[in-house]
Amino acid sequence: MFKKLITESMGKSPWLFHINAGSCNGCDIELVAVLTPRYDAERLGFKLSGSPRQADIVVVTGPVTKQSLPRVLRAISQVPEPRVIVTMGSCPQSGNVFRGSYSIAGPLSKYVDVDVDIAGCAPKPEAIIDGLALAMKILSDKRAAMYKARKVKPAAAEPAASAEAVSEEPVSDVSADPSPDTAVNPEGGAD
Amino acid sequence: MNHYPILAIMAYFLCAFLIVVFGKNRAVRNILGFIGTAAPLCLLIMLAEPVLFNGAIISYWMGNRAPVGGYAIGIALEVDALGLFFGLLIATAVFVAMIYSFSYMSHDDNEPQYYTLFLMLCGGVMGLVLSGDLFNMFIMVEILTFAAVALTAFRNKVFGALEAAFKYLVVGCIGSTCILAGTIMLYAQAHTLNFAQLAAFLPGNLNTATIIAYALLFIGFCTKAFLVPFHPLAADAHGAAPAPVSVLISGVLTKSGLYGIIRLTYILFRTMGLGTVQFWLVFLGSVSMFLCVTMALAQHDFKRLLAFHSISQIGYVLTAAGLATALGVSSGLYHAMNHTLFKGLLFLCAGAVLHETGTTDLGKLGGLSKKMPVTTVLFLIGAFSISGIPPFNGFASKWLIYQATYQKAVESGNIGFLLVTVVCLVTSTLTLASFVKVTQSVFFGQLPKEYENVKEVPFGMRLGMGILAFLCIVTGLFPGLVQRFLTGPASNAVFHANSYIDAMMGFGYAEKFGLADTLPVSFESVGVWSPISWLCLLLIMLFAITIVALTSKRDRISAADKKAQAANAVSGPSFLDGAPAANKYELFFGGEESTYSQVGGDDLFWGFKHNWRHYFSFMHDLHSGIVNDYSLWAVVALALAMLYAMIIL
Amino acid sequence: MTVFLDALRYLAYILIFPGFIFCFLTGMLLCGIDRKLVARMQKRVGPPILQPFYDFFKLFGKETIVPAQANRTVFLLAPLVGLAAQVVLQLFIPVFSFSAFSGVADIIVVLYLLLIPALSVILGAASSGSPYAGVGLSREMVTILAVELPLVLVLLAVAKTVGNAMGTGLCFSLSRIVEYQVANGSLITKLSMLPAVAAMLLIIPGETGSHPFDAAEAETEICEGMLAEYSGAPLAVYKLSHSVKLLTMTSLFTALFLGGACRWVEKLLLGIYPAMAAGIAIVVEIIILFLICAVLVAVCVSLIHAVTARLRIEQLFKYYWTVVTGLAAVSVVLAWYGL
Repeated sequence: MFKKLITESMGKSPWLFHINAGSCNGCDIELVAVLTPRYDAERLGFKLSGSPRQADIVVVTGPVTKQSLPRVLRAISQVPEPRVIVTMGSCPQSGNVFRGSYSIAGPLSKYVDVDVDIAGCAPKPEAIIDGLALAMKILSDKRAAMYKARKVKPAAAEPAASAEAVSEEPVSDVSADPSPDTAVNPEGGAD
Repeated sequence: MNHYPILAIMAYFLCAFLIVVFGKNRAVRNILGFIGTAAPLCLLIMLAEPVLFNGAIISYWMGNRAPVGGYAIGIALEVDALGLFFGLLIATAVFVAMIYSFSYMSHDDNEPQYYTLFLMLCGGVMGLVLSGDLFNMFIMVEILTFAAVALTAFRNKVFGALEAAFKYLVVGCIGSTCILAGTIMLYAQAHTLNFAQLAAFLPGNLNTATIIAYALLFIGFCTKAFLVPFHPLAADAHGAAPAPVSVLISGVLTKSGLYGIIRLTYILFRTMGLGTVQFWLVFLGSVSMFLCVTMALAQHDFKRLLAFHSISQIGYVLTAAGLATALGVSSGLYHAMNHTLFKGLLFLCAGAVLHETGTTDLGKLGGLSKKMPVTTVLFLIGAFSISGIPPFNGFASKWLIYQATYQKAVESGNIGFLLVTVVCLVTSTLTLASFVKVTQSVFFGQLPKEYENVKEVPFGMRLGMGILAFLCIVTGLFPGLVQRFLTGPASNAVFHANSYIDAMMGFGYAEKFGLADTLPVSFESVGVWSPISWLCLLLIMLFAITIVALTSKRDRISAADKKAQAANAVSGPSFLDGAPAANKYELFFGGEESTYSQVGGDDLFWGFKHNWRHYFSFMHDLHSGIVNDYSLWAVVALALAMLYAMIIL
Repeated sequence: MTVFLDALRYLAYILIFPGFIFCFLTGMLLCGIDRKLVARMQKRVGPPILQPFYDFFKLFGKETIVPAQANRTVFLLAPLVGLAAQVVLQLFIPVFSFSAFSGVADIIVVLYLLLIPALSVILGAASSGSPYAGVGLSREMVTILAVELPLVLVLLAVAKTVGNAMGTGLCFSLSRIVEYQVANGSLITKLSMLPAVAAMLLIIPGETGSHPFDAAEAETEICEGMLAEYSGAPLAVYKLSHSVKLLTMTSLFTALFLGGACRWVEKLLLGIYPAMAAGIAIVVEIIILFLICAVLVAVCVSLIHAVTARLRIEQLFKYYWTVVTGLAAVSVVLAWYGL
């Protein structure tokens, strides 16, 4: 009884924790705008939480600067399982215009499994809501997968595979799909 | 049975003397100390059945010098329910403090002297409450004052100890002198020093001299109880004295002052016009209560904070006892008992912290709950008790006090007593606030590096604290029984001066003076509170909730095991190789690495203090710490008391 | 047999009505109504009314992280004790003429029992060791201090008014206060009680820690304050006891001032269908209680939330000790002189 209830609720009550990893503040404003009366993401149950301990979905904006990398990862690690990691805007996915800069450690997918990428600079509110809705679904799936994993092998729980959000807006100048090969090696840049 | 009271007093003094002689050896010293405190406790418990339950009054004439021709010449002990009630409190607190001392004082020099002074102080207080004679009372006051002064300065290498002792000595002596002067004036008027005879003589013969004697005695006992304006002494003394001595000073010595005030007001001077004395007592009590709790909020030393709370709680007792209603006196005595128990417990906890860490500065401590779990639990019991959280004992008595004050307000139609109720209630919340501050800054929060190796205190100290904590819970859960067997008889005795007189001077003595007993003694409480039922409900509810929480535990991811915490591992399956390590069990610091950052106790409630900043700065300026100022306050208080007595009483 | 039945009856009180399940359902619903209303007042669609239930069950499905620095026992036990104390408190508050456990506690006790859930949050927060929690608990304690004084005055005013009318001088028993109102009409109709009603309406948001009096949990400045380190099931329990607090405060208001609101119900039912009147009356009364609570939440939680910005903690303290206390004091004085 609880199992079904919990899995279902998981998809209806996503709490966001927002990390700015060196963003230009454009995406941050857009994220907050999504919660305002015009788009009202709260109707889907979204809530911005102040502490990562209470969050389900981590929204990362910005190109993940070297300064911010350990802090971003620390905050992400403090989010309890199951969690969904969403990158918002082009920066955390590819580096955007900052790509190649000596101070950039991104993209984020080099360090953690990113579940949803919301492309755009900055993404449209519709795209953000779409991406977050997808994140909700992934969250629910992850929870279900954890139950399944526990049934088979109680020791470790493996989350569901990541998925990619389809942005309504065509991506401007940078590829939405970050490839580690083309990304600048952050260590090299620093030295 | 008649010999029990004198044996109880003698046991203390005898063991004090024996420790001087044979106290070099540790084992002998401890055994003597144990006997010296355990024996009086047993003796008084044996007295409980006849005196408290059956209402007997024990009178004892030293050397069998009974009164001749209606004049009491000999030295007398008289134990009624009120005296025995305080005696039991004192014996219990002293016994626990002694057990605690065995471990606590084992690192100090001059241990024999400590135990001698300790037992002298106990004997002095015990003699005071069991005495039936005003002059003996004064002698006991002297003994206990000097023992207390010496004990305050016992750790004379501690900063401020000598200064505190000096202040105490000066102002304490002013108090003792007042008592002596009052005694002399009474003797000149009544030609007797015996309580019973005075109680028979004074009601019909009140004049300016006796009224002024009352004022003198009152101020004298106020210094013993550290009521406002004598409160700074207590703070200094407690800050410097070893913890068991603090228990004595707060749990025992202040009680002797209260006992004196109650005895004087209700037995000796009961025709003085209780309405006007009432105002005085209740006003002083309320001021002490509120002023000292705000002072406590501003403290940043554990023991000083407790010291101010001590006086604040004494203020409660005086307020309630000053109401001159049966409910009021009974609730005041109840609170006096609870104060001894919980404040003793709290001081012992402060001592435990000092013993292990070497400091009581709230700004330096933190996170001790992981290192000292037992002390933490015991401290929380004490803190909840003093803040009046149900179902602990502080609530039971405070709840009666609220009722008593409000009932008084309704009965007398005086809206001032309503204000007293409000002050009581607000003080209680302020008390809670300052104990939240202590809890946060000593036992919870973050552990400073230098206290990584702190251990739990030895068994002897835990035992002492455990006894008091147990009593705190028991007296909180059974308020009905406490009222029936302890505070009820004691408050009954307060309003039955005639039987007190008759027991001492022979039957029919009081009638000769045409005295009637002061007040009816029955009361019914207007409220309802049944702690046992509440506790049952809470436990059932807790059980149900826990069951629900546990049934769903299977569905949840269990809380992480300790191994994972130890290995500073990258958390979760979503981290890829090469990502910098991050420990999810660290505290959240906005993403920063977790560092030591304890929210200290100093300014925890700035939101409150900011609004009261003028008051606090005024208080700060007022408490200069100069002994001349405090002596001046004593003199001013004495002058005001005498003026009030002469003009209004 | 009767003992057994009695035990069963009391168990039903504790677990179903007015105990755990009732508190759980209504508390959560009130919370949902509040969120929905705030959204509607801001011209948003808002979350579904069942959103608090989703939140609750979701949190139960999350991992529970206990920080390494925290005192594990206190950290995990505090929410449970807080919830238990909160629900037990609800048992003492009469639902119009029905009261499950009236002989256990009076209004002064209720005043103190209200402290226990808050205290358990404070202890849980302190035990986590987080500095955010430290700041949060400091603010929470100051909020308690601020609210306590006017609440005391309101309760004393009620005690005096009812006592005057009953001829006993003062009356602390909550069930007798309600009985009086059932017999003589609600206290809200008395002139002397109007300032107290206003004060109580302002106390409810302070006591439940809702906007603008939520400095203790300010999620934007101090990361949820006291709950900064809580996750998973303990957080769910805290959220639940917070919503039960909404129910407790509003039904306390109902008991104090609107106790006579259901006088007509039983009379009406006796006229229509006397056989089952008492049984049906209680159902109707529960529904009316819920409606009143919902209206109160709408007025003093949602409306105030929607139109104000958060107060700083010292402003909050000042506000309560001047405006609200003033209102309550006026009421006490009026009650004292029997108006």
